Amino acid sequence: MTDIKKEIETQEILVNMGPQHPSTHGVFRMVLSIDGELITDLTAHIGYLHRGAEKLCETMDYRQGIGFMDRTEYLANFNAELSYVMAVEKLMNMEIPERAQWIRMILVELNRLSSHFMFVGAFGVDCGVFGTPFLYSFRERERLIDLFEEITGDRMMYAFFRAGGLAWDVPVNFESRVEEVLLSSEQGIKDMDGLLTQNEIFLARTKQIGKIDAIDAIDWGMSGPSLRASGVDYDIRKAEPYLFYDQIDFDVITGKNGDVFDRYFVRLQEMRESIKIIKQCLKHLNPGKTLAEGASRNLRTPPGEVYIRTEAPRGEYGIYLVSNGENRPYRLKIRSAGFSNLQALKDMVVGSYIADAVVILGSIDIVLGEVDR
Amino acid sequence: MTDVANNLSAKFNDLWKKIDSEISHVDFRREEDITKMSYSDLLLYVKKDNVTQFLEKMKNNKVLDFNYLRCLTAIDLQGDGIEIVYQLYSLKHKYNVTIKTTLQNDDLTIDTITNIWRAANWHEREVSEMFGVTFNNHPDPRNLLMPEDINDSFPLRKSHPLAEIEILQGEGIDPSIVDGENK
Repeated sequence: MTDIKKEIETQEILVNMGPQHPSTHGVFRMVLSIDGELITDLTAHIGYLHRGAEKLCETMDYRQGIGFMDRTEYLANFNAELSYVMAVEKLMNMEIPERAQWIRMILVELNRLSSHFMFVGAFGVDCGVFGTPFLYSFRERERLIDLFEEITGDRMMYAFFRAGGLAWDVPVNFESRVEEVLLSSEQGIKDMDGLLTQNEIFLARTKQIGKIDAIDAIDWGMSGPSLRASGVDYDIRKAEPYLFYDQIDFDVITGKNGDVFDRYFVRLQEMRESIKIIKQCLKHLNPGKTLAEGASRNLRTPPGEVYIRTEAPRGEYGIYLVSNGENRPYRLKIRSAGFSNLQALKDMVVGSYIADAVVILGSIDIVLGEVDR
Repeated sequence: MTDVANNLSAKFNDLWKKIDSEISHVDFRREEDITKMSYSDLLLYVKKDNVTQFLEKMKNNKVLDFNYLRCLTAIDLQGDGIEIVYQLYSLKHKYNVTIKTTLQNDDLTIDTITNIWRAANWHEREVSEMFGVTFNNHPDPRNLLMPEDINDSFPLRKSHPLAEIEILQGEGIDPSIVDGENK
């Protein structure tokens, strides 16, 4: 028996996945070297969606830059816009009207909901559950996007936040519409819980797979739900509150094992927290102005620099803005969560089976638009 | 100094004192110029030769414990060289700090910090291809976002042209026409 084993020589082979692969969530390519079914190495190739957003922003005035933020993070546009306008506001030392801040908070959390619905549906597909969860979650996301369309006029590229507030006030039926959408979202989360979290095949497919511990996750610079799944209690909304998060009561959800299931489950629970936040924000909505005094179209910031980070659905979305006193940034760096999270993929994938690579990639929830910028 | 600058310096004083007492043998200074000041974090300047040593201290010192590298990037200062910017965070103590070092145009090389934080890997690759900075001892110095065969043009440098768009935007805007239209 041992002699026969010696004769069969196995060799490592390279398998190319992507860039045009439906499970890579965009144009991401990974070259896996595999020994039988086991992955021994991974080389990630990104940059297929690189459009030079940073350089473009350096040539346009501050207001025009808002549109580029939408195009980098196209599943959580409000969150991306928020970091950018907050950076400009901080340089300008602006006072933002309270109503605008509360509306921003509601929109940002609603966007987190819609982004996580997208994740849950697409993640189901990654695990091989095509159909019901995907369609259910997209139905809920559609309702949220309809609401965004009513407010901003656009389904994806909103460009709604301005340095100093909002482009215009929300419609009069805003509060009742938000409540309506939240009601159906709550049901949607329950449905997902029933379809995925309590599904034995799904559990077998996700538990104890793609593990990363807290020390490694921190060392790789991971953030957001992917970091919290490893048990690190770090949420920028709590650690360095911006907007009015310090006045709101909500919990930071953390996982234990840092495996694929935890990354999924943390996001699912986070959606419930988002609903909790929005419900509290609605109580604070009072009539008032939505754009600050002195917020003009052609802003000129004083020289200086600022690094603003906010908690986007995928993690820390940071804007590093350097101004030399012109009406456009001297240097704009977009620090996206997906970029840092994706680096850690190698640690999670090596040692697992090739069929799990897709599931693990899905669990980090990348958006190539923000990875490549 | 203006009020804003005063408030900012006061805000970061505690952290400054802590770093100053913990790391005494490395030469570094604090930014006091209002026009260059960071509005969000404490800003420190370190000489290029000391930067690896300094960052290692920042991470391994128990009192400071900057275990999280948020971001690593560069700024093109044209004639004055290229500035490398490190954004650090301490998850335990909730401190933020920005560290800068300047590379002269005739010597655009610096040691890698991937051995301190693995997070620096892709960030350094991006800076390397976009600004033409060489990171010594980097484990994987390939291009990250750009095609593999483009190694002689550095898009994020200010000298790199961007078609005609720069002429259309920027200086061409007359502030008297557009100011206040949004009100």
